[in-house]
Parts: sequence; structure tokens; C-alpha cells
Amino acid sequence: MYRSARVAIAVLWLASAQAAISADALCTKPPTGNGEVRAVIASIQALKKSLTAEQRAALERPFVRESAIRWSNLPVGIVPRAGLRLGDLDVKQEDAARRVAAAALSACGLEMLDEIRIADNFLKNVDARKIGWDGGNYYVSVLGTPSEKSPWMLQIGGHHIAYNLTFNGGKEGATPMFFGSEPIHFNLGDTDYEPLATQSGAMSKLAQALAKHPEAKLSGTFTDVVKGVVVVFAEGQMPTGGTDTGFPMSYPEGTTDRGILYGALAPEEQALVRAALESYASLPGAAITKSLVATYESPEALAGTYIGYSGEPDLSARGSYVRIDGPRIWMELVVQPAVADNKQLHYHALWRDKQSDYGGEIGAK
Amino acid sequence: MKRVVPGLMLLCAAACGVALAHSAPNSLVKLHFLAHTVRAEVLVPESELAFATAAEPTREPFAEYLQRHLSAETPQGAAWKREVQSVASATYLGHAYLSAQVEFTPPPGASVREFVLVDDAVTHEVRNHVVLVLATDTATPEVLGALQYPARRLSVQR
Repeated sequence: MYRSARVAIAVLWLASAQAAISADALCTKPPTGNGEVRAVIASIQALKKSLTAEQRAALERPFVRESAIRWSNLPVGIVPRAGLRLGDLDVKQEDAARRVAAAALSACGLEMLDEIRIADNFLKNVDARKIGWDGGNYYVSVLGTPSEKSPWMLQIGGHHIAYNLTFNGGKEGATPMFFGSEPIHFNLGDTDYEPLATQSGAMSKLAQALAKHPEAKLSGTFTDVVKGVVVVFAEGQMPTGGTDTGFPMSYPEGTTDRGILYGALAPEEQALVRAALESYASLPGAAITKSLVATYESPEALAGTYIGYSGEPDLSARGSYVRIDGPRIWMELVVQPAVADNKQLHYHALWRDKQSDYGGEIGAK
Repeated sequence: MKRVVPGLMLLCAAACGVALAHSAPNSLVKLHFLAHTVRAEVLVPESELAFATAAEPTREPFAEYLQRHLSAETPQGAAWKREVQSVASATYLGHAYLSAQVEFTPPPGASVREFVLVDDAVTHEVRNHVVLVLATDTATPEVLGALQYPARRLSVQR
């Protein structure tokens, strides 16, 4: 069993000690920031001061649908990202950018970002194809004007992570959030990494409990997350899309083929559901997710929450899949074959909120 | 009948060195609106099709599989005539696809530009699979809609 190691981040970003603002509710690691809007704004202002005019122009983008939906689970060689490229920053700028992430994310969310970027560096050494594997190919964007009252977004992402954090939106702004890992675990520089150890572990424990309940098994085959991005392709052209063009999503309705209801589970199994959803919700700062978790775990919401799985409950094979599907919550994790080395496996995970993706501030096309 | 799709071959020559790093490719239905018929070019990734056909009770040629999973009807539910004219193999950005040319003809008196496309090829089994439906009568293909389980009907008005 691999243990997710503390990250030697000097490889990517110099470690910086962000003063603790308050304890994270769900992440048990020593706190960095907690997503308080005032602290995030201050960190962005400090970052801007460190940048050239050209870099500031890359960082600042309009808060419109076209910008907001521009995230993906594909490498940047397939779906180019916009924003300030972290790999282009000098040491002082890297430190300032890291403070933005530290202010917005929990220590768990920050560590996941670091480790997923390291995974991309690992892939760069395994697969020479010019797909864009590179821990430097991760970006920060500020959509709109940072404010303590008006809506705006902070995006941090690249190949295998997409934090889309909306502040002051009409609804909570933690989602959509994508995260993945290829490989699932790896060794680099004498350190073992498993970026999604907490989330995959929680989902696997849940699926193994669900395996006792035949009604929890979902029909069909899963080769990716269900509500992720879609690539649009046409003959004679390079693919387009690969971003969240399908937003807003439609979701399963009724009672058929959604898994087992939370209320039908034993108390210890119900605890596994809450642990799994909290493992996802622990990634942004607690100020961003606290009310969402309370909503998801309210008796009314849990009474309408289904949990389903497919494939191997221990997530040991491709096609293994786990899902939490409630009145608002939509969390998925799927096991795919790896792309760089198809003997390995690879996780994709997605958290959407059926009401509050992009803080409820982005409409249909 | 086997037919190579020239456009796909050209694109592959240009881009196969950058294989699409996505292990779950989607399907595409490109609609060409003609005076009396609609011609559909259907692209289905073989990797996803394999999961779908493995779940079927019997193995059958791709053309027959399509006949069971792809059709068109008027908004009132009258079936259009459907003919799978050709099937070909193609490689697109590192993924193997089956391609089919399908011609749809409306019943007498029905508009050729308004119909319901009924398609659950692959999506009847693969839950994340998406069928993108495009119109190609414009300079840049226009996405008309997408189908994902359990949706299998797309209203088309052109």
C-alpha cells in the first residue's frame, strides 16, 4: 500500500509557509488558508504586483461563460488552457502564486495540486509524445474583478486538476472540480506519491460496503466520468472543445439505476458515504465548502441521496466506478487504463453540484 | 463494402504523432441536409463499441448493429426510410473508428429538415459515452446536440 508522501515541492514551487487563518473543517493536515475571500483577494493583489503587464493580462480574464467553462481533463497539448502559466514564473512569482493557491485551498487541496503536477513531471519522463505532460503546464486565472461582494472566479488547473472557485456567487462556488491521477501511484526522487489516496481510498471503502447490496450496482459500463468534458471533433480539423461545453448538465431522475438510497444503508455504511463526500469537499478552503457539506449532509438531502458502483469495488480494474448522486451532490470516481503506459491504471474524479456549479453565475449557451 | 475516409487519413497523417490522450473517445453523427434526404456520416470508436457489443445477446456486423440502434422519425413518430450505404475503418488521432454512411429519407409529405434522430449506439451500454450530432451544411460544423444515456432522441430542425 502506498502512502501519500509529503511533497518535496521545491521541484515545482518553493515551499512557503502561509499563516494559518483558521482550522480546516475537513482536511486534517496543518492548515494553510481556508478560502476566506479577503485573504484570497490579498494574495491575488500580491501576485499581481510581482507580475509584468503581459503576465497580468494573462492572469486576468473576463468572468463570462466562455472563460469559466475552459477547464478540462486533457493535457494542454490537446486542450490548451488560458491564464498565467506556472512554469513561466520566476522564484518570487512562484511563491506569490503559491500563496494564492494556499489561501484558496485547504492543505489537502494544495497538496493534491502539488502531487498531480509532480505526476505530470513523472509522465514527461515516461512518454515522449508531445502531449503536454509537464508540471509547469498548470495555470492560474482570475475571472472578473476580485471583490468581497461581487461575483468573480479563481481557476487553478492543468491536465489533471481543475479548481473552479467562485466567490460571492448567488450560490456556493466550489464546483465543478475535476481531479485525476496518472499513474495512480509512482516514485520520483525517492518519494512515493499517490495523489488521490484519500479520495480513492474513501470511495473504495464505500464501494466495498455497497457490494453487499445488489441494488447498489449500476447497470452498464463506465470508461470515464459521466458528467465530464466532451471533445468535439470533425474530419480534417484538430479536435475542439474538451471543455465544459455541455454545462449545464442533465442528471438522472427517478429511482431506477441510480444505486441504493442512503437511508437503506447501515449506520456504519452511511458513515462511509459521508467520509467519501467529505474527502472531495476537503480540497477547497473550508469557507468555500462548509455550507455545501452541511447541505449535502442534511437529513433531507441524505434521504434523497443514491450511492452506486460498478466494476471492482476495490478499484483494482479498469471500469471500476463509484458515484454519490443526491439532490445537489454529484461525485464520481472511475478507473481507466493509463494513457502513457497502458499497463497502468489511472483515476478520474469529478465533483459537480446540480445547482451551484460556477456559483450559479454561469448560464446556458 | 469498405471505404477509406480521405479526410480522416489526411488528419491522421498530420496528427497521429500526437495521439489523443483520452481513453474514452465519443461518437459523432454528421448530418448533411440534401433536397430530399439527409445523409449521415457516423463515426463510432471501436474501443467503446466493443464494450457495447459485448453486452449484446448476439454478435453482428456493424451495419446491422447500427440498424438496430440508429433511426429517424417525423416529430409525429412516422419512421423515415434508413439505408446503411457503406462501412469503413479509420484511425483518428490514435483511436480506431468504424465509419458508416447512412441515408435517411422522410415519408411522403414530411419535411426533410425537421425530424427526430433516435440513436443509442454505444450509449445503451457505456454510461459516459456521448454522441455528438453536427450539421455540416455550414463552413464550420455546428453542434446540434448531444445524446448520453438515458437520452436517445434528439429533435433536429434545420
